Amino acid sequence: MTEADIYKALGDPIRLEMVRRLANGAPHTIGELSQDLGVSRQGARKQLQVLVAADVVYLKQQGRETQVSLDTRTLQVARKFIAKLEQQWDARLTALKNIVEKDAGE
Amino acid sequence: MQNVIEREITINATKERIYDAIANPEKVVQWFPETLEGKYEVGEQPVIGFGEHGKGTIYIADAQPYHYFSYRWVPGANHFLGDVLSVPNTLVEFRIKELSEGQCKVILTESGFADLPVEVMEESFKQNSGGWDFMMNRLQEYFNEN
Repeated sequence: MTEADIYKALGDPIRLEMVRRLANGAPHTIGELSQDLGVSRQGARKQLQVLVAADVVYLKQQGRETQVSLDTRTLQVARKFIAKLEQQWDARLTALKNIVEKDAGE
Repeated sequence: MQNVIEREITINATKERIYDAIANPEKVVQWFPETLEGKYEVGEQPVIGFGEHGKGTIYIADAQPYHYFSYRWVPGANHFLGDVLSVPNTLVEFRIKELSEGQCKVILTESGFADLPVEVMEESFKQNSGGWDFMMNRLQEYFNEN
């Protein structure tokens, strides 16, 4: 499981909408998640499988229903990646500031 | 999912001076890449170098003195050489906003992460750490000199 798999998994409007619905932390049934997505139940199920395969969500059997929950640990990996890129840009911008202010003072 | 990175910094200098540090090929190598080969002009694809961490092609997208400069590249992939526009890439934009006389805000955005295919992302993860180390070394050198 790499960050790249997570990005790939989220790079689709249907899957992104599913993740949005789960974002408040409460689990949803597969039926709830598949509603009003503009695709068939089967289509929704296919997209859900991609999210499961990437560990973005996990399934749990609850009686006759299947509950879908967000795997926050996986999403944290993606956040860490972005945070790292942000740190890089902060370092570059600091270098820019130092160079420009140093030149200005001369 | 986050597709855009946005960072900003306040710099005590005029917008002309800041723009020059970004858009002037002789100045940009003082704080960002170590080397620059080829024309650093809109529509051109020069190659920037990060010492032992390799080289990468960038496509200069737009340059508007003294408030906007942008280029496209394959993020973190300091070793990508070739036509940047023929592969998935991100857009890096510098915006300079004057806050007062001699003080500006520089807003940096990098966008397009969601469209990068899995292979590019994987390469970019491997190489980002190298780029980060390089940047830290440069900063260190700078502080040692001063």
